[in-house]
Amino acid sequence: MASALARPLITVYSEKNEKTGTSVHLPVVFKAPIRPDVVSFVHHQMSKNRRQPYAVNKDAGHQTSAESWGTGRAVARIPRVRGGGTHRSGQGAFGNMCRGGRMFAPTKTWRRWHRRINVNQRRFALVSSIAASGVPALVMSKGHMVHDIPELPLVVSDKVQSFNKTKQAVIFLRRIKAWTDVQKVYRSRRLRAGKGKMRNRRRVQRRGPLIIYGEDQGLKLAFRNIPGVDVCSVKKLSLLKLAPGGHVGRFIIWTESAFRALDAIYGTWSSPSSEKKDYNLPTPKMTNTDLSRLLKAEEIRKVLRTPNKRPVRAVRKLNPLRNVRAMLKLNPYAAVLKRKAILTIQKKHLDKQEFLAKKTGVPLQKTKQQVRYEQLIQKRKEAIQKSKAAKPKTAKKAKKAPAAK
Amino acid sequence: MQNNDDIVWSIINKSFCSFKVNTKTQKFCRHEYNLTGLCGRYSCPLANSQYATIREEKGIIYLYMRTAERTAFPNKSWEKVKLSRNFEKALQQINENLLYWPNYLKQKCKQRMLKITQYLIRMRKLTLRRQKKLVPLQRKIERRENRREEKALIAARIDTAIEKQLVERLKKGVYGDIYNFPQVAFTKALASEEVQEESDDEREEEYNEGGREEEEEMEEETRAALEDATEYVEAESDDEDMESDEEHEFTDEGPEESEVEDIEDMARPSTSKGKKSKVSVEYELEQALPEKTKVKN
Repeated sequence: MASALARPLITVYSEKNEKTGTSVHLPVVFKAPIRPDVVSFVHHQMSKNRRQPYAVNKDAGHQTSAESWGTGRAVARIPRVRGGGTHRSGQGAFGNMCRGGRMFAPTKTWRRWHRRINVNQRRFALVSSIAASGVPALVMSKGHMVHDIPELPLVVSDKVQSFNKTKQAVIFLRRIKAWTDVQKVYRSRRLRAGKGKMRNRRRVQRRGPLIIYGEDQGLKLAFRNIPGVDVCSVKKLSLLKLAPGGHVGRFIIWTESAFRALDAIYGTWSSPSSEKKDYNLPTPKMTNTDLSRLLKAEEIRKVLRTPNKRPVRAVRKLNPLRNVRAMLKLNPYAAVLKRKAILTIQKKHLDKQEFLAKKTGVPLQKTKQQVRYEQLIQKRKEAIQKSKAAKPKTAKKAKKAPAAK
Repeated sequence: MQNNDDIVWSIINKSFCSFKVNTKTQKFCRHEYNLTGLCGRYSCPLANSQYATIREEKGIIYLYMRTAERTAFPNKSWEKVKLSRNFEKALQQINENLLYWPNYLKQKCKQRMLKITQYLIRMRKLTLRRQKKLVPLQRKIERRENRREEKALIAARIDTAIEKQLVERLKKGVYGDIYNFPQVAFTKALASEEVQEESDDEREEEYNEGGREEEEEMEEETRAALEDATEYVEAESDDEDMESDEEHEFTDEGPEESEVEDIEDMARPSTSKGKKSKVSVEYELEQALPEKTKVKN
């Protein structure tokens, strides 16, 4: 978005939707960062600046000389109206809960109605919304019917500025295919919901295209009666028109002179603005915002370490004194010890039984397990003897060999 | 410029998109060129400058493609390719055109094409069957017409017309000697009929004078006489008459008699209500009669 190299040429269209030969370089404003949050904030602040104060009468509810009756009269202690002879006497007064009393926290005219916004913020928001108006996706998502226009941003020859008949304006909009947007405005005309109806805000409609001109030679008169269409001079751009509702992406039709003036008004990054004092376009936080492309870029990947595809996860610690496998992990010889212990127990048990059997003279009935155990011991003995027998041979051989040598 | 895509998506997703429809479980996209119909990062036609869809117009399926270079020219951004009617060939066409495109788009395009072909097949099958045409009723009109029908029915006074007709036929002699009325009552009735006709003419002249009451009474009497008369219908004694008139009876008597019955039933409440007839009449169901004729054969 901020690649300063990419400055496409925008063709200027005649008022009959033909390409004139001329084309303009895209002003750098359109490359400014689009910050919907800034736009929203500034817009909301700005919209408060056109408010008229409202308040209740400062005397309202206090134009009585009411005094509380105090206790002892079997009535609530609210101040009551003095005197007699009318309904009003004895009625409660002054409180917000009383009929005819003053409201809670009466509204005052000196409420802070207007908000000041920093100049730079204002300009930032403006520049952002201009940039957003150059992105077709954003303009479409705002709801403008721009699927048939020849190009976005749409620049038209200066002849449009000298229109003074609405008929000409309508024909022009039709030719450029901006008329569908105006038709949408027509279809959206309805009555406001709520009390606004009786407060001189009866009818509501959508916003249509915005026409920005360099010099008014009658253009305002031509376009002002078309519903939804707004007209604006380049020198006096307003955020309230460029981002209505605080949302970016209004459909803008530029005249050629207006378009060419943008670079001078807002500056490019290399040269500051000539119309505004000390102003240059905001620099974006990221020059290349295409995250997916960045992550695949060689320059970045080179610098990264290799990805760890198999992260080692924390293992739960098992107590080796209670968990056999944990013990074996730490001390493999523990298996041998344990086995030995078990076997000795078994042997001792068997021996005891045999001894008892001998003593009592009762022949011992061995369980299957015990029988097996005996067989096991036997086998073991034989195996040990075998290996012992084998060992000395190899030892002798080894001794013989060096001896031979 | 894919740079833009990410920004666009972050704006559209978080703040406002005019095509987004939010339900409790899902986000839908109302954009016509959306491939899946759902709102998502890679199915949003606005947030992807390189995009493809399948759309169907009048039974023909097209592949639409858009590349990043053309996004600035909304007019020409979509390239339209007509797909073959053969499904496999169409798949190949998609593969050809979307070669080197991201897999997601290819897959979704093929799936969408499959769905579209399926529903087109279904549509064609349906048109071959009997087409039920749904005609909407307009409640207001229906109610109005029904009420008017009722009123017209009442205004027509069918029962009186039928009665008149029958009496006329009687007079003419259509029924011959089927019915046996006591002579006196019969002549009285005829006489009163004539008087009625005269009085009808007079009525128009004397409307204001209110000679209505007399005529009403006259009508009462005639009505009563008629009713009495019709009561006395008996089984026929003459075989000859019977044989000749059997078939006639069957066809003529049945409906007519029932009509007469109905008329009398209708007449009775009206007379009892409006004209306070003193005569209370009992009726027999005449279904017995035709049986009798049968028996005789």
